Amino acid sequence: MDKKTNTSSRRKFIGDAAAIGALGALGLGAVVSSCNRRPEYTAPVFPVQAPDGPLLKAGVVGCGGRGTGAAINFINAGPNLEITALGDVFQHRLDRCRNELREKQGVEVADENCFVGFDAYKKVIDTDIDIVILCEPPHFRPVSFEYAVQSRKHIFAEKPVGVDPVGIRSVMAAGKMAEAAGLNVAVGTQRRHQRDYVKTFEMVKNGEIGDLVSANCYWNQSKLWHVNRQPGWTDMEYMLRDWVNWQWLSGDHIVEQHVHNIDVVNWFFEKHPVSAVGFGGRHRRPTGDQYDFFSVDFVFDDNRHMHSMCRQIDGCTNNVSEIIFGTKGYTNAQNKIWDYDGNLIWEYQYPLGENGEPTNRVAVSPYDQTHINLVNAIRTGEYLNETQNVSEAVITAMMGRQSAYTGREVTWGEMMESSMDLGPDEYRMGPVDIPPVAPTPGTAPS
Amino acid sequence: MVRRRSYKRSRKYLVLVTAVLTALFLFLGDRIVRYTSTNEFCYACHAHPHAEESWRKSAHYDNRTGIYVQCTECHLPPPGNLDYLLAKAKHGAHSVYHQIFTDIETVNWEAKRTVEAAVGFTYDESCIKCHQNLFPMQLSSDGQQAHLYYSQNEDELSCLNCHMFTGHYSDLVQEGVQFIVDQDVEREIFTEPSTVKEFEDFTEKIPGTAISFEMVAIEGGVFQMGSPPGEPYRQEDEGPVRDVEISPFFMGRLEVSWDEFLAFYNQTAAEGRQDNVYATNLGEVDAITGPTPPWGLPDQGWGMGARPAITMTWHAADTYCKWLSAITGKTYRLPTEAEWEYAARGGTTGPYFFDGDPRKFSRDRLWNRIFGPDTAVINTYVIYNENSMARTQLPGTVQPNPFGLEHILGNVYEFTGDWYASDTYSMYPEGVVVDPTGPDSGRERVIRGGSFNSDASEVRVAARSHTRHEQWQMTDPQIPKSIWWYTDTREVGFRVVCEWDQDN
Repeated sequence: MDKKTNTSSRRKFIGDAAAIGALGALGLGAVVSSCNRRPEYTAPVFPVQAPDGPLLKAGVVGCGGRGTGAAINFINAGPNLEITALGDVFQHRLDRCRNELREKQGVEVADENCFVGFDAYKKVIDTDIDIVILCEPPHFRPVSFEYAVQSRKHIFAEKPVGVDPVGIRSVMAAGKMAEAAGLNVAVGTQRRHQRDYVKTFEMVKNGEIGDLVSANCYWNQSKLWHVNRQPGWTDMEYMLRDWVNWQWLSGDHIVEQHVHNIDVVNWFFEKHPVSAVGFGGRHRRPTGDQYDFFSVDFVFDDNRHMHSMCRQIDGCTNNVSEIIFGTKGYTNAQNKIWDYDGNLIWEYQYPLGENGEPTNRVAVSPYDQTHINLVNAIRTGEYLNETQNVSEAVITAMMGRQSAYTGREVTWGEMMESSMDLGPDEYRMGPVDIPPVAPTPGTAPS
Repeated sequence: MVRRRSYKRSRKYLVLVTAVLTALFLFLGDRIVRYTSTNEFCYACHAHPHAEESWRKSAHYDNRTGIYVQCTECHLPPPGNLDYLLAKAKHGAHSVYHQIFTDIETVNWEAKRTVEAAVGFTYDESCIKCHQNLFPMQLSSDGQQAHLYYSQNEDELSCLNCHMFTGHYSDLVQEGVQFIVDQDVEREIFTEPSTVKEFEDFTEKIPGTAISFEMVAIEGGVFQMGSPPGEPYRQEDEGPVRDVEISPFFMGRLEVSWDEFLAFYNQTAAEGRQDNVYATNLGEVDAITGPTPPWGLPDQGWGMGARPAITMTWHAADTYCKWLSAITGKTYRLPTEAEWEYAARGGTTGPYFFDGDPRKFSRDRLWNRIFGPDTAVINTYVIYNENSMARTQLPGTVQPNPFGLEHILGNVYEFTGDWYASDTYSMYPEGVVVDPTGPDSGRERVIRGGSFNSDASEVRVAARSHTRHEQWQMTDPQIPKSIWWYTDTREVGFRVVCEWDQDN
């Protein structure tokens, strides 16, 4: 990395000098001194707590486990933060979240600010909240995200922020509107708010492993979870309760879950892949229409490769991590750097516990840190908007998914132009015409 | 001392004068630049009053805010740097030149109202200078998608691609720019083949796929088959010329594409790599058995899709036609050699279906080898060795022949149904031969039209060639060798014909 960057910065310097010369010739010149050395990159220093400020109210859309968790992360982020509105499609989910907040956090959400139904997101956003926490199944994110921006709310959006090209492009555009309007957006790819990752990124960006060569990333885990259909449930109710198993709701697990690791590689490479060839299949999944494993070869525009694999099957070797190779060494992206002789040449220093032993945990949970950074951005004016990053990671994962589903190479350009818009035409508790059939590669009509 | 003082004084004087002159120059320069950038100054010369008219009707003049945008705010880069002055000088010189030397009446103003022309005198930087926020909240969802697309492709796109008539109103209906294309997943799967009732061009649909292809109705007629003895590069087997009558038939407008051939392959592919036949995927005893998987990359890595399918054997092509007949209820087959030449000539009688002398086009001649052949005409109609870049090319790269057939010469050699014999024509009786089908038996099949790899002399309409079955399988590592795929030619494909049943 050193070598290349120096060359390019020298070239840039010469370019600058030429431009300055031209300005000088016009009689407008100024004496400008420039330095050939690349400035060392310094990772942002995250606050341990958000600064105090006027009361900020947040509403939660999607009151499942993650929504409830995110609400608590938000309250933990600093002083003068409140949850004042809740919305979910199911009454029992909303009640559970409301009780949890009452019992564990002493937060009482008023009856008139609790909304149930497919339009609950609108009603939550229409209350006098400043921030909306979007944690409904990913399918619904693009619509609620855009509505939140149009309503001038700051946003925390859980990943992934969309499940199909139409949805994700809508999120990208709304993210740019938010930027124009000064609305902050934090997202749930929390590794970017995790102090050890952030420090490792600093080391890599400063050339500790040389030029980046390739990367692998993994999310291989046991079965996630499923819900069996109960008598009396409509198709819609069943699918919503079982949402991590349906393409139209979750985007499949490469998009829904593995996007974390793909995002890390994009982050370290400072770009996104432009094409993907992958495969996957379905062996053990009890419900839904998704695959339970994917293996994808992603290619960047400079022909570097990232290999990604993800699996949700019991009784197999598990691994959730990234590994990034450079010309001088390699890193797990999280906390260690090795050279090619097998020496550990750098390790992140975790804070020590009360007993003086390393805790092996970052000082602030990355989930809390995300909300701290969001509130910090709102209160200090240090602008934060992660929409583009997460969208690029989601589109990358979608390329991999579509390649595995079809068996064909899928390009970034295709994703940016695709009219694929998953899900039913209307949302109501009733029949949904989406059969539980997983795609067969090589059969897409041509 | 005196001299020195005087020198000092004169230097002071010089500095003063320079400073005054510079100030004057800058002041006047600034005034000139400002004055020559007013609308009035533009109108003084610009002899196209409709420019002002259309501007006054446009959103850059007539809008809710009451703000209007001046000529130079779009037609020059933003002021304040060298680019501005250079552009000003360039457009100024251009205007002065044409004011003096061009008859304004002869200028095609409409041609200047195209994106291609307008990007030459309208500056994106100037658009962006005012329209800094490309994502205002009020932006429509189509607008969002368009600006998202622009933000990812700024180098290739101009604001004018979508906003051509923002500065000057036009009655032309501006079609919405379609960024979102329907992809494969959305395409209709045909359940029924096309029905043909009249003798006219039709589009065949392959049931069970989203694939269709065009068939051209070829009227019957009489023509002279073969080449006259005087034709350059004529081979012995191209004569003697015979009068041949051809009955009406339909012919594929294009060579069979990979999409079409793979539909056949996918529906019929046989088990394993063996060419002996076990069963079929269709599960029917009398169903057609198609190719075994190919050895290697049959498309040579050039890509499939609409590119012509290549490297299948004659047997595979013939089986394709039988399969196509079975699933469409029509009679598809390979063309006879006579049908092929009749269609390729398209009513013409020369060496090609367009005007031209093979000696000018061919690299065979020493002169052409040194100075390069004259390719202007032939390039328009034929993909051959001078313009193919050593591979097959997609549809739409050349002009069709008079019957509307594309790539009938060049691109890929096309199988015919006939056996090859060097004396085929002399075996035909004199007088008019009706729908001849060549010899009754033989070793190799006739292929016609030449390929992307052929010299201009080999893409003449009368030029004949034939398969080289063994040679084309030299490196097939399988024993027995495949009956479906050639390993050692890249130049052969085919085109289908469909019979016309007049009683139908």
